[in-house]
Amino acid sequence: MLRIELTTQLRRVRSLMLFGALAGIVVLAGVTEASKAGGRGGPATFSALNFTESGLNFMDPVLFGLVIATLGSIIGGSDRDWGTLRYLYVRPVSRARLVAGKWGAMVVCCALTVAIFIGAALLTGFVVFGWHPFHRSGGDLSAAAAVGGVLEAGGYVSACLLSIGSLALALGLLLPRSAEALGISLAFLVGSAILDNVRSLHAIVAVLPVHYWLRWTSLFDGGGGGIALGLAVQSATVVVVMAAAYAVLARRDPAA
Amino acid sequence: MIDTVAVAAHGLSKSYGRRRAIKGVSFAVERGQICGLLGPNGAGKTTTMRVLVGLSRPDAGAARLLGEQSRLAAGVLARVGVAIDGPAFVPHLSGRRNLELAWRAGSRRWPPPALNASLELAGLGEAVDQKVKGYSMGMRQRLMLAQALMGAPEVLILDEPANGLDPGEVRTLREHLRRLAAGGAAILISSHLLAEIELLATHCVVMNEGAVITAGSLEDLLGAGSYEFEVDDAHRAQEALLMVDGVESVDPHGDQLVVSAPGRTVKELNQALVTAGVGVGAVRSRRSLEEVFLGLVERNSAAN
Repeated sequence: MLRIELTTQLRRVRSLMLFGALAGIVVLAGVTEASKAGGRGGPATFSALNFTESGLNFMDPVLFGLVIATLGSIIGGSDRDWGTLRYLYVRPVSRARLVAGKWGAMVVCCALTVAIFIGAALLTGFVVFGWHPFHRSGGDLSAAAAVGGVLEAGGYVSACLLSIGSLALALGLLLPRSAEALGISLAFLVGSAILDNVRSLHAIVAVLPVHYWLRWTSLFDGGGGGIALGLAVQSATVVVVMAAAYAVLARRDPAA
Repeated sequence: MIDTVAVAAHGLSKSYGRRRAIKGVSFAVERGQICGLLGPNGAGKTTTMRVLVGLSRPDAGAARLLGEQSRLAAGVLARVGVAIDGPAFVPHLSGRRNLELAWRAGSRRWPPPALNASLELAGLGEAVDQKVKGYSMGMRQRLMLAQALMGAPEVLILDEPANGLDPGEVRTLREHLRRLAAGGAAILISSHLLAEIELLATHCVVMNEGAVITAGSLEDLLGAGSYEFEVDDAHRAQEALLMVDGVESVDPHGDQLVVSAPGRTVKELNQALVTAGVGVGAVRSRRSLEEVFLGLVERNSAAN
């Protein structure tokens, strides 16, 4: 089912446009900052690695979340939107296989989204700003160490995106239309990002996955604190959301 | 021992909220039979088909396919071809790619055994390699039929398969289904095209308001040896006909008499009426499925 989902979803114009837009944002940013190469436009313009790190900071959480919520809701709801769900069930495809296949496609999409962004940022940064050590206030980080940091940060961001992706996927599976799933997922994402800035609501914010999304920045400060907790919260969110979706789906009459 | 019953509905009931869609639906389709599932809109035909293939969970009763309990994603469905609620495909993929994905979704190796025959039936030509979003309604319908038939299924459950097909395509489909049935497949087909069902089906199940009102062979339903007489004196005609050997029943319907007399020719019955001094205005030797169907539904609705 994973291959079928990927074949179906990654050939959609909508998906290709999203991935194209991700790469386009990076290239556009690089071109507009080209005249400030060498650090004259701030830390992002020192090197390809600085440019990539700044790009991740710019995209996370809302813009990456927007892309993933869109992909998650269309992966979850596309079969219902097209009417092909009934024909999958009679092939026969069980609910467990269906959900597993879609979730697997979501994992691939999260990784692909971040990989495309990082790849485009490194390439654009290399062409525009050159390949230099990662510049930071406490002393430069070697290019090799910075590449490691970028890859780790990419992995962490992908894992974080999987939480909102799973939520959108679950809503896409359960709601009548994928557009409704997208709306609710985006409301959750934006609402979480807003609440994250309200200190008095810390008790609530602490259980929201978005609260931990920017913890990857510590990887460039020689730390990495809070990464494990962030991953644990993302994992818990994924498990709760997908289990709830499966439970509802299993109880529901397929023709309803 | 091979069970000849391929499709069996035992007391199926299903409600959606307060609305009861079907109640106590029971019938069976054997291998080699083509069974028409007939009924007016809202009679419960599609709900019955959905329950049979596991797309809807019955509140009561059980459905069996090829001897196995049918439920959502039951393994036996791999031996069943289904076309229900109209065609549905991934619009940005080609017709062939859609068929391949549907086949592989069942964890089977591409290509399916009857791919060429089903593509020939679909008659899409080079369009099968074009994106489905450019297809006409008729092309989608034919692709849906190819999808249902490509696995050489032992059971076919087809909901309005002739929708959007032109007369030539309908005839080709009819011949194809007959060949499949002759090869031992059981076919359950719902349609509002009663003339088509009359040409194709060997058996019929007629539903109204969620219940089966009659089921059996088409021959029995239409009444072999069944005639309709328009006469000037229904009472005297009834008496005269009941005197004839082999006449089983004479039922007045308005100014007509419906006579069941297996083994008697219309000439013999007409002779008996003329001898009794009854004037015969018209006689029809066989009722059409349309007439039988409408009569059954009308009487059932009135009785309810």
